[in-house]
Amino acid sequence: MANLLVDERDVKFVLYEQLDIEQLSNTAKYAEYSKEMYDLVLEQAWKLAENEMAPANRKGDEQGCVWEDGKVRVPESYHRPYEMYKQGGWLSMAEAAEVGGQGFPVVMGLATIEAFGAANLSLFLYPGLTHGAARLLEVYGTKEQQRTFMDKLYTGEWSGTMCLTEPQAGSDVGALRTKAILNDDGTYSISGTKIFISCGEHDLTENIVHMVLARIEGAPAGTKGISLFIIPKLRPENGELVDNDVVCPGIEHKLGIHGSATSTLNFGENNNCIGYLLGEANQGMRIMFQMMNESRLFVGMQGQSHASTAYLYALQYSKERTQGSDASRIKDPTAPRVAIINHPDVRRMLMFMKSVSEGLRALLYYVGFCDDLVRSAENDQEREKYQDFIDILIPVCKAYGSDMGFRVCETAIQVLGGYGYCQEHPVEQFLRDCKIASIYEGANGIQALDLVGRKLVIKRGQLFKRLIAETEEFLRWARRNFELRELVAIFEAARQQLIEVTKYFGLKGMTEDYPETLLYATPYLELFGDIAVGFMLLWQALIAQRRLQEIYVDAGAKDAQAQREVLVSNRSAAFYRGKVASAEFFITNILSLAKGKAKAIMSGQRAAVEIPEEAFTLT
Amino acid sequence: MNIVVLVKQVPDTETKIKIGADGKSIETSEIKWVMNPYDEYAVEAALRLQDSVGASVTILSMGPERTVESIRTALAMGADTGVLVDDPATEGSDGLGKAKVLAAALKSLEFDLVFCGHRAVDSDENQVGIMVAELAGIPHLGLAVSAEVTDGKVKVQRPIEGAKVTMEAILPALVTFGGAHAVWNPRYASLPGIMKAKKKPLETKTLADLGLSADEVGAQAAKVSVTAMEMPQERQPGRKLEGDTVEKAKELTRLLHEEAKVI
Ligand SMILES: Cc1cc2nc3c(=O)[nH]c(=O)nc-3n(C[C@H](O)[C@H](O)[C@H](O)COP(=O)(O)OP(=O)(O)OC[C@H]3O[C@@H](n4cnc5c(N)ncnc54)[C@H](O)[C@@H]3O)c2cc1C
Repeated sequence: MANLLVDERDVKFVLYEQLDIEQLSNTAKYAEYSKEMYDLVLEQAWKLAENEMAPANRKGDEQGCVWEDGKVRVPESYHRPYEMYKQGGWLSMAEAAEVGGQGFPVVMGLATIEAFGAANLSLFLYPGLTHGAARLLEVYGTKEQQRTFMDKLYTGEWSGTMCLTEPQAGSDVGALRTKAILNDDGTYSISGTKIFISCGEHDLTENIVHMVLARIEGAPAGTKGISLFIIPKLRPENGELVDNDVVCPGIEHKLGIHGSATSTLNFGENNNCIGYLLGEANQGMRIMFQMMNESRLFVGMQGQSHASTAYLYALQYSKERTQGSDASRIKDPTAPRVAIINHPDVRRMLMFMKSVSEGLRALLYYVGFCDDLVRSAENDQEREKYQDFIDILIPVCKAYGSDMGFRVCETAIQVLGGYGYCQEHPVEQFLRDCKIASIYEGANGIQALDLVGRKLVIKRGQLFKRLIAETEEFLRWARRNFELRELVAIFEAARQQLIEVTKYFGLKGMTEDYPETLLYATPYLELFGDIAVGFMLLWQALIAQRRLQEIYVDAGAKDAQAQREVLVSNRSAAFYRGKVASAEFFITNILSLAKGKAKAIMSGQRAAVEIPEEAFTLT
Repeated sequence: MNIVVLVKQVPDTETKIKIGADGKSIETSEIKWVMNPYDEYAVEAALRLQDSVGASVTILSMGPERTVESIRTALAMGADTGVLVDDPATEGSDGLGKAKVLAAALKSLEFDLVFCGHRAVDSDENQVGIMVAELAGIPHLGLAVSAEVTDGKVKVQRPIEGAKVTMEAILPALVTFGGAHAVWNPRYASLPGIMKAKKKPLETKTLADLGLSADEVGAQAAKVSVTAMEMPQERQPGRKLEGDTVEKAKELTRLLHEEAKVI
């Protein structure tokens, strides 16, 4: 069986042919990296994902995490792949050598994450969260905190968590109540309860380092009075690890990611929970916000990971499952049965999955690549430009990535029909596991508010203007392509719609019609996502179409018949043809709707907010 | 102690193979190449000796430039140095030709042990390792699933039906490895390993460097050649027999007799 996690050819296409990440080798930061190394990394990551992580996925789903007397056991099948992942040094792949990392570009890290998430998201969450905790320590920790905690996190010896949520503080993190009282020695005594904490308690690692948001006694209410604390499960004391009074009274039973322990954590039930302040007091939210770009990009990638594997699985199935006859002989009961991939409606579903997963992949990698351009930039202007791209695209990556990932999973089930709904095939698990990505790390509705209420507004709208200017530059090149001119035209029209709506929002935001932008924030984000993905696919099609022509010329294939033969015998040609098709499908079928979507957003129609709550009747 | 591991790069067995226009070779554009799995076991066996007795491990390959990928993979797994014989004149060589090239390359290396897979999964000839041993004038132990070195001897185990035999040979010797992925669990290359691999020495040689000429080892010298390749027949879809148990048994017997012609 071929790798059904990611389309390896497409991953390499994005990295080398579209983004041309080899250009990073021209910068001082990435001078020692080369394509040869990237290929080796991808090969090892794919092997690890396929041979070690993926086989543990179904079993992990069935077995789930088991809570007993305050201890949680992860599925047995997780231990070995986690060990392999740890030994491989994958956790600190894109970290600097100074902290024990391997210094690879962020975009390469993302490419491996896509495969790991596709293979086994629940398992991958453990190191995923560990990475987030370690990053916080790297940026804000003292040297001592780094040596005590960060080093062990980056090697995977210990694991980490992010503890924000409390029963009354979900999306509204500012409502949290966990309390910190300063001790004489500068540490804090912590008390409070966190819920829904991913990987909060488990037996994969000896110790767990919780990064906890809490309020120091006497600090202001709301988000301004929140501080961030390092709270280990076992605290190092006189060279030993002692119990730090962090208790897990239970874990959630939930729709998906059964192998990830979603834990309730009680801190300081016995007044013996010590926390160490990270960064300055009352700066907790600001610090968390700085880290959010990375974690939100990862969550968007979770949607993509599932989209990628769900599509490949459905594709394979559609070539094997025979049902019905060819449309041209539908009335003839003796006509041979055909594989369902021959049915136009199945083709439509496959193309939706193919184009969305390819477009999302490109979008997410692009944002990761922008991070590399920020890190390796030679001047502030350049750095700011790419940082602006990242900042505005992050909520789109997070929300559009997770929502579209889910829709691809749903479509994959549809391709498999009744079999897809049953546990015999993995697509139902993909759907269940994928759903969480639209909820945690800031629910998607909150992402839309971030986009409309913050990212469009800050720096007087500079982020959006810059992005549009970049696409304008691209279009100058794209308009020269005669073959794809229709696609370019649809894209341009859709892009214009986005510009109109954004201007409209700008005006509304300044008036008392402000609530209207809240009502239409999610449709706006969706429109934004459509255009971002459409852009990526158009960019890819322009490259692919040129390569395809070159292959035809080399093969001397002048007419349609000869070209068809080339497509059958030449894998590259078939791949490039598929890339062009992805753009044709997505741009025609989805970007054509931009006008209608924009019209709805700008309609000013306010039924949803104007109807009295009583009219939402509950009988 | 020095171990040389012979590594061949082969198409990934998961790659969809197409037969080339000449009808006797496969279409090689855009297929995925990997280290021959049995050679990977040999690399793993050598690296275990590197861990236990501090052996130094050299990877020796022949093939076009892309073969470097497999050598680098082995270096990233932990091997110390690599040598690639890359010469277009070796194109079309048969097993013996390849063995001659590898044996000549061995001459320029110091070794106590030569390890390799018992066969390569592309053409499945099971010849090269044994021939290299013969040409190098050293003993050969075949199909090993383990290897230990003590007192100037190598000791290996080979599974035979329902049992295992233990064999040993005096060094220098050549061992070919069998077994399966689950037996060896060859290590993955770690990221630090990949970083180190790029700085490890990898030398490329031509036939002239080895004192060989094309007519000794190339296509002209080949005594064995592939005359044709064909794809296996497409598997027919399964069939479900209807009726009660007796009817099904009868129908099954009839099909086995008349269609499958096996009884
Ligand atoms: C499996 C799982 C793992 C999790 N892991 C972690 C973890 O590791 N660490 C952690 O801290 N938390 C974690 N969470 C918690 C998660 O981040 C929250 O569930 C999420 O932030 C939403 O909060 P809530 O569930 O209270 O929903 P609510 O905040 O009640 O939101 C419900 C709905 O109302 C909408 N809504 C709320 N406020 C607004 C508003 N102001 N404007 C518009 N719409 C709004 C939301 O978009 C959402 O659709 C996890 C949750 C789950 C289920």
